[in-house]
Amino acid sequence: MFNAIKNRKKILGMNARNFSYVRPNNLKKAIRIADNKIVSKRILRKDGIPVPKLIAKISSYEDLENFDWNSLPSGFALKPNSGLGGEGIIVVYGRKKGREDAWVKADRSVVTTKDLKSHIRNVLDGNFSSSGVPDIAFFEERMQLLKLFKPYSYRGIPDIRIIVYNKVPVMAMLRLPTKASGGKANLQQGAVGVGIDLATGITTSAVQGKTKIIEYAPGTRLLLSGIKIPYWKSMLELAVRAQEISGLGFLGADIAIDKEYGPVFLELNARAGLSIQIANLDGLKERLERISGLKIKTAQRGVRVGMNLFGGEVEEEVEEISGKRVIGPVEKVKLIGRKGKEVEVEAKIDTGAGWSSIDSEIAKEIGFEKTVEEYDKLNISYQDIKDLSKKERWNIVKNVPYIDSALIVHSSHGTTYRPMVKVNLFMDKRNVSAKVTIIDRAQLKYPVIIGKRNLGRFLIDVNK
Amino acid sequence: MNTISPLINYFVSQGVPLETIILILMLPIIATMIAFFRQVVGIKAFGIYTPLIVTFAFLAMGVNGIKYGVIIFVSVIFIGMITRFILKKFRLLYLPRVAITLSVVAFSILTILVFGGTLHRTGLAAVSIFPLLIMIAIVEKFVTAQIEKGSKTAILLAVETLVISLIGYYLASWDILISVIVAYPYLVLFTLPINFVLGKWTGLRFAEYYRFREILKKM
Repeated sequence: MFNAIKNRKKILGMNARNFSYVRPNNLKKAIRIADNKIVSKRILRKDGIPVPKLIAKISSYEDLENFDWNSLPSGFALKPNSGLGGEGIIVVYGRKKGREDAWVKADRSVVTTKDLKSHIRNVLDGNFSSSGVPDIAFFEERMQLLKLFKPYSYRGIPDIRIIVYNKVPVMAMLRLPTKASGGKANLQQGAVGVGIDLATGITTSAVQGKTKIIEYAPGTRLLLSGIKIPYWKSMLELAVRAQEISGLGFLGADIAIDKEYGPVFLELNARAGLSIQIANLDGLKERLERISGLKIKTAQRGVRVGMNLFGGEVEEEVEEISGKRVIGPVEKVKLIGRKGKEVEVEAKIDTGAGWSSIDSEIAKEIGFEKTVEEYDKLNISYQDIKDLSKKERWNIVKNVPYIDSALIVHSSHGTTYRPMVKVNLFMDKRNVSAKVTIIDRAQLKYPVIIGKRNLGRFLIDVNK
Repeated sequence: MNTISPLINYFVSQGVPLETIILILMLPIIATMIAFFRQVVGIKAFGIYTPLIVTFAFLAMGVNGIKYGVIIFVSVIFIGMITRFILKKFRLLYLPRVAITLSVVAFSILTILVFGGTLHRTGLAAVSIFPLLIMIAIVEKFVTAQIEKGSKTAILLAVETLVISLIGYYLASWDILISVIVAYPYLVLFTLPINFVLGKWTGLRFAEYYRFREILKKM
């Protein structure tokens, strides 16, 4: 309850969306273009944004009478130009076998040319447009479902809604058509919305319809979290570029992924941003406030800002559950040696190495000058010690100052006998006390490698 | 005895009926109330016109008429819904379809009035014609909402409209409010600043606290 009072300011309600974001950022002219699907797709295509191909449009009864039905491909989508919320769309998968005048719809029912004609007449009369004004109907290419999404979606094509404000992608969700939504990717009709971590493109939490929080795809045991959306970064870029082109300062971009063509831009949306918050279980208002006033020059820059600011939820959750820190293949490490002397370097995280090792110059910097010097004076080669017992080997080096132990290491250097010292490694907010070998790594890219023995408290994300 | 503002007295002396003056002065108050329900509470109804006109239809039916008003409203929506389901398979164009729906609703209301008469419920038939016509015409709003937003939403909007109109009805026939307005008609002007505030209000609506409850809990 206490939280609710504190958190209400983070959520974007309808009043604030309309008054503070839609009204000042989305000019009437831009909204009119966005509401006109044919025009907005033409404009987007001109600027190199991939959109579904327009097959034909029908603007009048006369067009309808003269229309050549044989010119249609076997699969297509029939849409009202100014339709709202996915209403009035008919998707056809193929011709009915053995019939000239009939097709099979997405729900496997049959639709005849006569039915389509009557539907188009309804569209022309404005039955699906926002205020009943006469409309245009058009045919466009049907999208092909991506294999990855197949088990999660019921009939229709899932799409990805990305909210873009001030050239920064702010929040995103995957919309999955369900049985309840009749194969439409529209939350109000009962589709599923799955929140997406902006940095990684991995799904997080999910909602069905307007408020029902769910974990599994309806009717299955498939977890909705943890799906990695392909083409993630390029989709974010498409969304930002569409914002620049459309002139909508506050945009809901709908992008689908076609099996063959990859990301295809579906629709510009001037009034988005409410349900997406429930899918992500996070408030949009707070995010919008964080980026208002930023000066973003390019789409790439905007995408980077969005990924940095609004990503990382997945990682945080992994860290919370496992109790381990998630690190990348190269990580900043602070080495603390004798008398608290420390140095910070970039280390290579190397799961192929057993022990960690540090460059001799680094060793000198953190209080092991004497160790390095005295050991070098002994000038031990592997040939000299390979036939000695462990104890005999140790006796040769045990008087080197601050030495903890010594170790035979087989590596790209060849096989060497190396001194080891005790240091503290401070890495991603974790302190690890470690024994490390000292070797001359001057020729190598990273002065330090961290090996398996010191990585027990970490998980490694190679994409990081 | 109630005080009457000199302004109202002047209007009456010019031949405007007091009843009419009160109803007209109530209009800004009802409209503001509807705006408040939309912006702050989150009850949408069928826009502002429909609940307003239904409120006045209720008022025009009088104290005994309100229950008939509700019965007729519910019947209109119910019959409109059934007609839509019957007409759906004929795939008719919009206006002819609405015309048929309106006719069916009109015939049904007439039937209800006659049926009321046979049961000696003369109050029903005594309801004046214009409020009845207004109620019948509401079905168009309902059909439009059904097409654009689906049956479930349309029914919800109809219920919201009925609730708001009932509140409006009781507000506008509240004796205390009427005597205050008659005594101080200028108070009605206060609805203007209230609407300015509502027009700039960006807080969450009450209904949104419910809609976003999972986020409010989680964050």
